[in-house]
Amino acid sequence: MTGNSEKAVVVRDLEKRFGNFVAVNRISFAVDRGEIFGFLGPNGAGKSTTIRMLCGILAPTSGSGTVGGFDIRTQSEQIKASIGYMSQKFSLYQDLTVEENIDFYSGIYRIAAAEKAARKEWVLEMAGLEEHRRRPTAVLSGGWKQRLALGCAIVHRPPIVFLDEPTSGVDPISRRRFWDLIYQMAGEGVTAFVTTHYMDEAEYCDRLALVYRGELIAVGTPEELRTTLMTDEIVDVVCDRAEAAMGRIETLPAVQEVALFGRGLHVVTQDAGRTVPAIRELLAGEGFRIGRIERIVPSLEDVFVSLIEARDRAEQPQAEVQR
Amino acid sequence: MKLRRVRAVARKEFLHIIRDPRSLGMAIAIPMLMLVLFGFALTVDVDNVPLVVWDQSLSPASRELVSRFDGSPYFSLAGSVRNERELAEAIDRREALVGLVVPADFAQRIEAGRTVPVEFVVDGSDSNKATIAIGYGEAIAAMYSQEVAIEALRRVGGNRLRPPLDVRPRVWFNADMESRNYIIPGLIAVIMMVIAALLTSLTVAREWERGTMEQLISTPVQGPELILGKLIPYFAVAMLDVLLAVLMGEFVFHVPLRGNVALVFGLGAIFLAGALSMGMLISIVAKSQLLASQLAMVTTFLPAFLLSGFMIPVANMPPVIRAITYVVPASYFVALLHGIYLKGVGLEILAGEAILLVLYGTVMVLVANLKFKKKL
Amino acid sequence: MFERIRQMLVKEFIQVFRDPRMRTVIFVIPCVQTLVIGYAVTLDVNHVRTAIYDLDQSVDSRELVARLVGSGYFDVVEHVDNDRRARELLDRGRVTAVVRLDHGFAEELRADRTAPLQVIVDGTDSNTAGIVLGYVSRITGAASQEILAERLRRQTGVRRDPGLVELRTRAWFNENLQSRWFFVPGVIAIVVSLATLLLTSMAVVREKEIGTMEQILVSPITPTEFILGKTVPFALIGFIDVIAVTLVGVFWFEVPIRGNLLLLFGATGLYLMTTLGIGLYISTISQTQQQAMMSTFFFFFPAMLLSGFAFPIENMPQVIQWLTYANPLAYFLVIIRGIFLKGVGADVLWPQISVLGVMGVAILTLVSRRFHKTLS
Repeated sequence: MTGNSEKAVVVRDLEKRFGNFVAVNRISFAVDRGEIFGFLGPNGAGKSTTIRMLCGILAPTSGSGTVGGFDIRTQSEQIKASIGYMSQKFSLYQDLTVEENIDFYSGIYRIAAAEKAARKEWVLEMAGLEEHRRRPTAVLSGGWKQRLALGCAIVHRPPIVFLDEPTSGVDPISRRRFWDLIYQMAGEGVTAFVTTHYMDEAEYCDRLALVYRGELIAVGTPEELRTTLMTDEIVDVVCDRAEAAMGRIETLPAVQEVALFGRGLHVVTQDAGRTVPAIRELLAGEGFRIGRIERIVPSLEDVFVSLIEARDRAEQPQAEVQR
Repeated sequence: MKLRRVRAVARKEFLHIIRDPRSLGMAIAIPMLMLVLFGFALTVDVDNVPLVVWDQSLSPASRELVSRFDGSPYFSLAGSVRNERELAEAIDRREALVGLVVPADFAQRIEAGRTVPVEFVVDGSDSNKATIAIGYGEAIAAMYSQEVAIEALRRVGGNRLRPPLDVRPRVWFNADMESRNYIIPGLIAVIMMVIAALLTSLTVAREWERGTMEQLISTPVQGPELILGKLIPYFAVAMLDVLLAVLMGEFVFHVPLRGNVALVFGLGAIFLAGALSMGMLISIVAKSQLLASQLAMVTTFLPAFLLSGFMIPVANMPPVIRAITYVVPASYFVALLHGIYLKGVGLEILAGEAILLVLYGTVMVLVANLKFKKKL
Repeated sequence: MFERIRQMLVKEFIQVFRDPRMRTVIFVIPCVQTLVIGYAVTLDVNHVRTAIYDLDQSVDSRELVARLVGSGYFDVVEHVDNDRRARELLDRGRVTAVVRLDHGFAEELRADRTAPLQVIVDGTDSNTAGIVLGYVSRITGAASQEILAERLRRQTGVRRDPGLVELRTRAWFNENLQSRWFFVPGVIAIVVSLATLLLTSMAVVREKEIGTMEQILVSPITPTEFILGKTVPFALIGFIDVIAVTLVGVFWFEVPIRGNLLLLFGATGLYLMTTLGIGLYISTISQTQQQAMMSTFFFFFPAMLLSGFAFPIENMPQVIQWLTYANPLAYFLVIIRGIFLKGVGADVLWPQISVLGVMGVAILTLVSRRFHKTLS
């Protein structure tokens, strides 16, 4: 790897248009070496498009970026030699056995003969597929396939890996196992760029970027996002007849939003200090049985929902104006 | 170009072929089926054309004429009719292809030395057959006339006269005029073109559809390496088909091979490189298997069949179409095969076609590589 | 129920035409094919490239050559005066025939003896060779006849001609014996068959391969609705193709349609039932689109050859003729040619029409039974 030894990935004003549709709208961020960087957002936010541009398989409309020091527009082939990419669609050959898939990618990455057997064993062990090495890939279940796909993507020990929704459609236990693998890799100095729409996975990342409708809404560590980005506060309310209570609480001033959360409610307010007693008074006064009313530290999901809705609210008047 | 990557791709492609025994089986069976059909079942040779006769004269002279037709190997008497209606019915119902109508005053006119018009009704739907049948009919009539004339001369002059003009036909290259000897060599070219398309036209499109191509383009593998790696196993299968075809031609159909068999394989290999690359190109450009299959059928099957000169001689086609056949690669290979099999000639005569074949192969490989992009 | 079918139809159309190139391939290309093939498939033999090898160079020899040229069938490419050059021209395929007249040709003729002329024909394409020889014998036969008449006159001193049998040909249905009139209706059938077969056979397998089949299996759609959804779009496409290609045939090539158009479309509908049914059947026995494409070709190719499209069924070995009874394309071709060229109607064609109807229903029933098993 040449060039910038600090940052693994640098992106500046990256943009991708498909006709009139802007999939990625001038985003900028940077990823440090050895970081687990999460790219979070709802479906259609532009995550896959971004990752494809970084891997050099999709040409950006404008903007610039480097991966491992190589320019994504002009040096895509060098990038491909030093990254691993796990695409969203299954990239394994169903009619080939587990072993044959691994051997194929070994050949593609020209792994030296001496190392080839060792790397194959490593992949098989990592994926838990030693016993199944001769089975056709088609008969494997989702979790196995994921791990095998990951193994094939990193069989050449790339310093940077791009994983596009690697855990979608996979059971929670397999998902945990998968993240254990990612931690292992990160421990060895590998930079992992992961896209996901699972909020709980966001907590596993060193740093996160939140994308929505092609735009970067927030960047930071999970901690930062939880504490600094949200100006609102969250009050957790547990009581009976939650739906009815929701309707009542909405009427209070300084309450911005009330949403069902599990069996209780999350109330978004700008000043919890005043709102908590106000809610208590209201509910008690109307005969609700109160379990708990307290201010809580917002979860990442709260943060993201709030940021997205803020963005939506900002867009609305614009939409009106344009009409 | 790294050999290691080419090998990896070739090995993978080879495994795909083996794991789909049905397609592989058909890739071998289809050529054999084509050969058997053309070798045994299909012929444009025209003989035993069913004929009905409406003899209004019923004289020894007319019966003599009719017996000439009946006795010829080209016609077979399907019956006699008594009027126009029966004649029409026979032809409508395809019981007869031709009808001979002898007028009532046939004998008298011949005797008086006058011209007798004999009507020859032909079902023209199959114009090829019709033309040939007419040719035979006219030949028979002409021979009869000539004999009448010679007889007349003899009675008058007393000399043993022979016909003034003696046409001595010599047929070169295919002396026994077996259409099989002409069709089987050309068929090899057609088979190769079709098989190449069937084998390779879906291979790249399939990977795009399944998502494995997206993975591949994120690796260091280069376009030419992918294309070459994919071509190699299919090339092997196709050459096997050529071998089978040549062997069948020799041992099953006894088609004489007067030229150099090594030339057949050598030129075949060049042709295949081009045909397989063309299939690959279709696959690259189409990106969906549905479109690729339609394109493949349209650009290889019918042109190879009808425009390559394998069945219908190019020389007979209008100039515009003849120009189009220059773009049909199978036509070069057909000409080469005809030359090697039937004329026993080699490159010294066929250099032009051979060069065009090389050109075609080169262009196809180049364009396939150009069109393949490692980008979504 | 109709709503679900309509949904399936719309979805199928969208999927097939998502790539705009499909539109071109499915609708435009058949018309182009008909144009090209209509011009290319001519078994008419004209402009036979000939070399004249006249060693006599007499008035008589030149007159005979003039007759040959005057017939319009022969194009003199070169006059040669040695064996080597004649051979070379044939080897290279520059001429199809060499007419050789030796020293003493005129002498023999004037002495009332027989004068030989040699015609060397490239027999590679035996069909053409036979026709060329036929032309030569017809022309020389006429010349012979005149010479004989002349001799008779000289010998008897009387203007007395020998009787001459003149064959007057009347070609029915295809008066000018245009091979195009024979082939174009056939091309309509072929082109439509291939397109619909291929589309249908790939359609269901595509869903299996991409994985959307499972979604369909869990949806409330019934097997009948599924089949309708998969066949109706392609039936529509088939009809549009038939209309388009027929228009090309009628307005561009001026092939007559003497029969009933409604009958034509009715018969097309019945025929399409069989092709769609077969396509669907292939779909059910294939796991991948590659297999579907190969199987389609494996079926279609013999079907095309054993249909009477280019090779007359009457010429085939008995066993193969029995096979053709199971070929729906064969029946359709009889109908289509009957309607176009012969102008016959259901009264003559009812056997073929009934067979097609029965086949169509039988195949579709069989296929839907298969679907019932898989979908329920």
